[in-house]
Amino acid sequence: MAFISIGFAVLTGICFILYYMLPARCRKYVLLAASCIFVGYSNTMFLAAAVSVSIFTYCAGIILDSGWGKRRQGIVFWSSVGLLLFCWTGFRYAGTLTGWTGIIFPLGISFYTFQAVSYLTEIYWGEEKAERDLPAFMLYMMLFMKFLAGPIERPSDLLPQIRKGGSPSYGMMSYGMKLIVVGLFKKLALADHIAPYIDNIFASAHTASGVQLLMASLLYPIELYADFSGYTDMAIGTAMLFGIRLSDNFRQPFFACTTADFWRRWHMSLSFWVRDYIYVPLTSVTRGWGHWGVAMSLITTFVILGIWHGAGWTFVIYGLIQGIVILWETHTSGTRNRVRELMGGRIFSAVSAVRTYLIFAFSLIFFRSPSVRDALYFISNISFRADSSWKEMNIGMSDHVCIVAGAALVLMWAYDFFMSRNDLLEKLGKSPAPVRWAVYYLVTILILAYGKIGTENFIYLQF
Amino acid sequence: MTDSEIMETITSIFRMVLKRENIILTETTTAGEVEGWDSLTNMTLMAETERHFGIRFSFREIMKLRNIGDLCRLVSEKTGERD
Repeated sequence: MAFISIGFAVLTGICFILYYMLPARCRKYVLLAASCIFVGYSNTMFLAAAVSVSIFTYCAGIILDSGWGKRRQGIVFWSSVGLLLFCWTGFRYAGTLTGWTGIIFPLGISFYTFQAVSYLTEIYWGEEKAERDLPAFMLYMMLFMKFLAGPIERPSDLLPQIRKGGSPSYGMMSYGMKLIVVGLFKKLALADHIAPYIDNIFASAHTASGVQLLMASLLYPIELYADFSGYTDMAIGTAMLFGIRLSDNFRQPFFACTTADFWRRWHMSLSFWVRDYIYVPLTSVTRGWGHWGVAMSLITTFVILGIWHGAGWTFVIYGLIQGIVILWETHTSGTRNRVRELMGGRIFSAVSAVRTYLIFAFSLIFFRSPSVRDALYFISNISFRADSSWKEMNIGMSDHVCIVAGAALVLMWAYDFFMSRNDLLEKLGKSPAPVRWAVYYLVTILILAYGKIGTENFIYLQF
Repeated sequence: MTDSEIMETITSIFRMVLKRENIILTETTTAGEVEGWDSLTNMTLMAETERHFGIRFSFREIMKLRNIGDLCRLVSEKTGERD
């Protein structure tokens, strides 16, 4: 079921009514039924895969928590995690690696498999107890608003909320509705307007001019951010309607002054996952190796983060670039501090944010290109040169699209800027009713008038 | 070794690893309060602490540390065991 569709709105609406009409003890069953319908709507195999992984993880969790000795626990843990990762890898990469087209990639499997691994690891480390309530655990794995593309939730964050059964305040529901609208705005007024033109340049890089390649590479991070953070806002907002607080996934990433800081703000639920379950254990094992241990752990972690997105050297290089840049940053922190003192904090922050953005945009050329050869061609042909006219800078967008997307970009950046200082949505909720309602109407009219309605796809659904 | 000596030594390790002379640590100091103490430097700090005191932390012990007070207590415990 598409996230922006009448079907999803109807499902959420019915679920919302039943959730609050039926007794509190029925709430998790209502959410679970809605989640099953959502997951199995387009293909029952997706539901079968999600239910199988959930039940397997539920049983493995109980066995892990049954007080066996450390050795047996280790066997259960490593075999369960190994099997989960084997299934995920099979679905994820078999098609790409073998060329066989008969494999259907179950929607959301990358996200719920990582949640399952997180759950089993926390039990193995003694941080969590196994969940005995099967419907609650199934919801942890399959909650419909975060099923397709996260956030990747931790058991300690989500399970207590599901057990308790959400009873949101009016303020929380209102905040959730506002977040949904913000997400719709990012997706429909910005991401979907520029996406076809950027896709076109990446698909026909060999015929595009240097300046078109430059513009496409500079705009792609914006498209990706508007698309994915738009989805996340909608997911978090929808969960708030049911009294559930999902984890943050983005925190104004383009204001980051370093790539290390960028990864604390971009796709946070995945970057924190790889930090806690791959990087930290690896650095613990290699801490005696000094800087080499940190370097090896960092590079390995980011390569894994890269290939989480797909099989192929392009994703390996994408991850490698992040790891190498962060490593370089850790070794030049002293120089950076001196430059900051010379330049002044504000100018240094602005220059650093631009530098971080450009590095990320560069790495995304590998992320977005079909092959390394294409990515290298793309990079080597980037220039300020146009084939016939400077108007090629608009990469084929009409003036109307340029104005709408440009205005949406300014609004999104202004929103991010104010959110980094104050919670703008909370402030709006406390403002006088005429101001509040004027803003509600204005944003709704803007989305209806200028949003690209009719879209169904999000970039991160493919992962 | 007294608690204040352990704290003093750990402070000097933090100043050396994080290259900041103005670091002042207390029992309640957490990673968020010290500039430069993050996931990238944490294990280097632990490794340097282990090397200096001639002890070894397990992964679980490191994961359970919540603040400098926890680290000092762990060092005190480990050096006591060793002696």
